[in-house]
Amino acid sequence: MPVELITGNQAAALAVQRAGVELVAAYPITPQTAIVETLASLHAQGELKGEFVSVESEYAALACCSGAAAAGARVFTATSSHGLAYMHEMIHWCAGARFPIVMAGVNRALGGPWCLDPDQGDSLSQRDTGWLQLYCSSAQEVFDTIIQAYALAEKIMLPCMVIYDGFYISHTYETVDIPDREEVQRFLGPPSFAAQVQPGLPANLHGLSTGETQAKLVRERHRTMKEALAVLKEINARFAAAFNRKYEPVEAYFPGKIKNVVVAAGACADTVRWCLPRLADTGLIRLKALRPFPGEEISLLLEKQKIERIVVVDRNCSTGMGGILAQELKAALYPLNSPPAVYDLILAGGIDFTPQMLQRLLAQREPHRGFAEIWGVDLL
Amino acid sequence: MNSKINFIQPEYLHSGHYACPGCGAALAVRYLARALGPDLVVVITASCWSIIAGMPPLSALKCPILHCPFPSAGAVGSGLRRGLDLRGKHSTTVLVLAGDGGTFDIGLQALSGAAQRNENFIFVCYDNEAYMNTGIQTSSATPFGAHTTTAPYPLFKKGAKKDIMHIMAAHGIPYAATATVAFPGDLEQKFRRARQIEGFRFIHILSPCPPGWGADSADTVELSRLAVETGFFPLMEIFEGGAPVLTYRPEKRVPLEQYLKLQRRFRPLELQQIETLQQGVDEEWERLLKAAGPV
Amino acid sequence: MNGEQILEMEKIYLNVVPSTANKTGEWRLLTPTRKEKISPCRQGCPLGGEIPAWLNAIKRNNWAEAWEIMQRKNPFPAITGQVCFHPCTAECNRRNLDEAINIPAMERALGLWRLQNCRPAAPPRRVEGKIAVVGSGPAGLSCAYYLNRAGYRVTVIERAPVAGGLLALGIPSYRLPREILQQELQLLQEEGVQFVLNCSVGRDMEISRLYDDYDQVFLATGAALSRMPSLPGVKLNGVWSALDFLQQVNLGRTLEIQNPVAVVGGGNAAIDAARSAMRIKGIDRVTVLYRRTKEEMPADPEEVAAAAAEGVQFVFNVTPRELKGEQGRLVEAILNRSHTSGEKLIIDRDTELRIYCKTLIFAVGQERDWSVFGTLHREIRLCAGGDLISGPAAVPQAIQAGRIAAEALAAQLEGKPGPDPSPPESGAVTFEELHLAAWPGLAARGRQEDPSAEAERCLGCGTCNSCGICYLFCPDVAVTPDQGRYLFDLNFCKGCGICARECPARALMMEGGW
Ligand SMILES: Cc1cc2nc3c(=O)[nH]c(=O)nc-3n(C[C@H](O)[C@H](O)[C@H](O)COP(=O)(O)OP(=O)(O)OC[C@H]3O[C@@H](n4cnc5c(N)ncnc54)[C@H](O)[C@@H]3O)c2cc1C
Ligand code: SF4
Ligand code: SF4
Ligand code: SF4
Repeated sequence: MPVELITGNQAAALAVQRAGVELVAAYPITPQTAIVETLASLHAQGELKGEFVSVESEYAALACCSGAAAAGARVFTATSSHGLAYMHEMIHWCAGARFPIVMAGVNRALGGPWCLDPDQGDSLSQRDTGWLQLYCSSAQEVFDTIIQAYALAEKIMLPCMVIYDGFYISHTYETVDIPDREEVQRFLGPPSFAAQVQPGLPANLHGLSTGETQAKLVRERHRTMKEALAVLKEINARFAAAFNRKYEPVEAYFPGKIKNVVVAAGACADTVRWCLPRLADTGLIRLKALRPFPGEEISLLLEKQKIERIVVVDRNCSTGMGGILAQELKAALYPLNSPPAVYDLILAGGIDFTPQMLQRLLAQREPHRGFAEIWGVDLL
Repeated sequence: MNSKINFIQPEYLHSGHYACPGCGAALAVRYLARALGPDLVVVITASCWSIIAGMPPLSALKCPILHCPFPSAGAVGSGLRRGLDLRGKHSTTVLVLAGDGGTFDIGLQALSGAAQRNENFIFVCYDNEAYMNTGIQTSSATPFGAHTTTAPYPLFKKGAKKDIMHIMAAHGIPYAATATVAFPGDLEQKFRRARQIEGFRFIHILSPCPPGWGADSADTVELSRLAVETGFFPLMEIFEGGAPVLTYRPEKRVPLEQYLKLQRRFRPLELQQIETLQQGVDEEWERLLKAAGPV
Repeated sequence: MNGEQILEMEKIYLNVVPSTANKTGEWRLLTPTRKEKISPCRQGCPLGGEIPAWLNAIKRNNWAEAWEIMQRKNPFPAITGQVCFHPCTAECNRRNLDEAINIPAMERALGLWRLQNCRPAAPPRRVEGKIAVVGSGPAGLSCAYYLNRAGYRVTVIERAPVAGGLLALGIPSYRLPREILQQELQLLQEEGVQFVLNCSVGRDMEISRLYDDYDQVFLATGAALSRMPSLPGVKLNGVWSALDFLQQVNLGRTLEIQNPVAVVGGGNAAIDAARSAMRIKGIDRVTVLYRRTKEEMPADPEEVAAAAAEGVQFVFNVTPRELKGEQGRLVEAILNRSHTSGEKLIIDRDTELRIYCKTLIFAVGQERDWSVFGTLHREIRLCAGGDLISGPAAVPQAIQAGRIAAEALAAQLEGKPGPDPSPPESGAVTFEELHLAAWPGLAARGRQEDPSAEAERCLGCGTCNSCGICYLFCPDVAVTPDQGRYLFDLNFCKGCGICARECPARALMMEGGW
């Protein structure tokens, strides 16, 4: 297997090429642009088959993908920040319409003011739309997750966002193991879902419905999404067997007996992992899947340990509420008898997450009871 | 009088659809579907037709319908066309159906994008000159002088109707045409022609709306006819962004007032405003004749 | 969708059923209804023939249906198509577009179709009732046709050796080929009508016997007695009445007629006499003498023109005063100048013109023939029609009278009220009222040879012409074409009214309710 030194964005583009994507529609936005550029050059060289559409907006990118997906095509788009926000209406629509679209979401703060740093608020504000959301911590994982996202999306007919941090992952070079196209194709196969639009077969796709019909559709979508966790695990296992790299919807790194757990998603989780050998009594729970939300898995993991304190690394902030991962996590703590204290480390603005920050936080002797909100900017 | 038309053809619009009595948009789609035949897929963006098409599992059309959000029509059409091509369905006609809102206003960006890329589908704007589905609000296709619920009496729509044909012609697309329901022969011929052409095709259909225009439902065809006979809505074709070609030229233009007086939305227009409108039509007509090639 | 799982969505969106499950007819407040209005042609037609309706059937190439409609008012289109002066055509709206519909030719075509295609297998089913018809002119024949068809046994009694009345003995054969009349008579006989010829009621048989032997009697003895002026010299040899002259010609007798011939009169009988005279061997100088101007001539202008083309001369504004003869044989007529003033004819006694003629035919009037009554002394319930009642009229009027009589007699026999003699409808649809702008493809196009093509030119004028506009413009596809006819599907019609507004023929109306 060839190993290459590439960025997360390049890894994403190569995954798209290897997955046999048939239509790419995209629009430039930092820090995602390099994906589109790489795909464009692959297309120009004839390595990316099918359609490459330079559309007039992110909204159009997703709309274009939806049209092609309706015809049964495997499609891809990528965006960040304002682009993702601009797609919002289509994001809802694609989930409702059950188009198995895969999108790379490269985190970046939303204005105003203009800001390029990797705040996760852009993807997190799409978490209620019905899309699967998988957060990656490395370029390798970006590559691997995009491949698996197609398997998952096409199996359960829900669209999937593969999300990673701008710059930290999108622009840093890593060695990435890139299996060739045939190997990936063997794993993935051609798109197996039936086209919704079939010339000659009358259909009234996504036309006017009553609230009752809508309720049934949402319920079905919700149940499917919840069952998706099991499907994802299956795919993870299949992937591990084929490529020898193992992923889980939630990954726990518990070095022996621990008192503290850091919960993080994306690049921050990798920082924590690097820190673990240097910290005492501390473990990591990495959230790979945010939708479906692996709440039960998390409570099971915590139940087994005597945890005093959880630190959630939230590179986002739901204004007026706090870090979003912390809020979500609290739901997973509900079944516990004596839930640990939760420190919510808010890194809104996408500011740098440093080992020192974590060390300083954990060094506080008297743990807060209950819930504490800590602003990363104050720790810089 | 009207191009010869083969009256009896297979119909692809089912009875029982949800359009209001006398709906021009229903007629428009009935004709275009007749002209395009069975190998058709229709993308419908938010508009009266989102309702007319029926509540699934009912469907008013014999072909597949793909509904899409308001601003997305041009892009969804692009994707669907390419998706079908990927599956080898090259002969299938993709038609995108939008109202004037979905064309002149919220849909303009996607429309322009698709036109500029010369995407291979037909974009149809059935123009009833306001947001009718939501209850008659002004759009940029609303003509000067009309009342809407967002321009209630004593207000009226101030600016002129956006010249969408100019805009589309400026994209240099292979084919752009106007049509209307009183001239089904002309309309169907334009769709048959459009079907033969590769690339982006835009057809603008004036579709009278009885409740929205404050007209008698029986007058739909008459209004459509008067729109043409007065020169208010000239029937034309534009190839490759070139000179407009008139497909019908009224022998003697009927005074605009006859058209206006059948519609309560133009009541109570002051005489002076009628003159303003008439003048506008006259000037536009002269300009068009100068620009137009021979009929 | 992914082959493993049927989504709710698929069930809803992919297994669609046509919207026809939604009966939008329930929304309707007004209903399109075919409300036929009278057409100018029909108004012009003495028979009130449903011209646009049978033309429409011919347009659809449904000749059987056309015949069915035709015979409701006119059982002898082959004859009327030949001899009727077609006032229908004179009023035809299509004149305003290009040229009137050639209704006579269409009538002829339909008549010939009927003669060729309607050989009855058996007479109609019989009902109780025997009817005698006296006189076999068009009035008598028409009455016989309708009563026979209604199942009564009909006997036609005719004085002449041939049946047909003036069709046989008045109208010259160059205008009505006798084969046509023969075939019509033949068909009537095959359908069961009895003919008794050479029997003059009132002379050969008492009319009261008819009232004893039959349940009903219809008198249609016409008005074919010639009226001769009381002029000096009318008894001279070579002086004829037009009716006698034509009768002799029509019976094929050889006549003692000498050149030059003068015909006095300005009606159709005068022209017939003049043209018939021209056709006699050795006759080549025929002059029609008329007391008024050419414009005032009651004769059909086409006939006058045809006569002139054949060499007949015309002298206008002359009235004969005296006929002069030698050895009892006419040699000249002395004429006065005359002209009209208001209603009256002014004869200038001071003028004197002479015309040399060896034959002079008077076509100046007919008398009704009441000979049937003979020496009747009994009170009878009289049912009569045709020229006998109206005075000299024309073939379609006589046919109409026969039909109305048939209805009245049948009603009496069945003890039902007779037909309502409602006045003819007025207010025919004018050309301006038609909505031709709605008719795609309608273009000026003169008369066509092919009957269907000619029938297609008919605009309908108040009657559905099968143009299909209602179908074309219905936003709800609620008008269904059915072999050239258009049916309204009230399950779906929302009552918008477009069809009625656009119907070029003005044959539709929106009516309240469902
Ligand atoms: C020369 C001429 C040309 C004409 N041309 C035309 C024309 O082109 N088009 C047109 O529309 N009209 C024409 N007419 C008028 C038309 O022929 C008559 O209006 C029509 O024939 C009247 O029909 P009827 O049945 O009432 O009488 P008739 O046709 O006169 O028939 C009466 C019948 O009754 C019979 N009859 C009379 N008395 C007795 C009796 N006592 N016993 C038994 N039978 C008796 C007669 O012999 C005769 O056969 C013409 C008339 C004439 C005279
Ligand atoms: S166009 Fe037809 S219906 Fe009208 S007047 Fe002429 S024949 Fe009669
Ligand atoms: S529109 Fe034509 S087909 Fe329909 S009723 Fe009128 S004449 Fe008949
Ligand atoms: S046009 Fe159609 S829907 Fe309207 S009234 Fe006529 S039949 Fe009914």
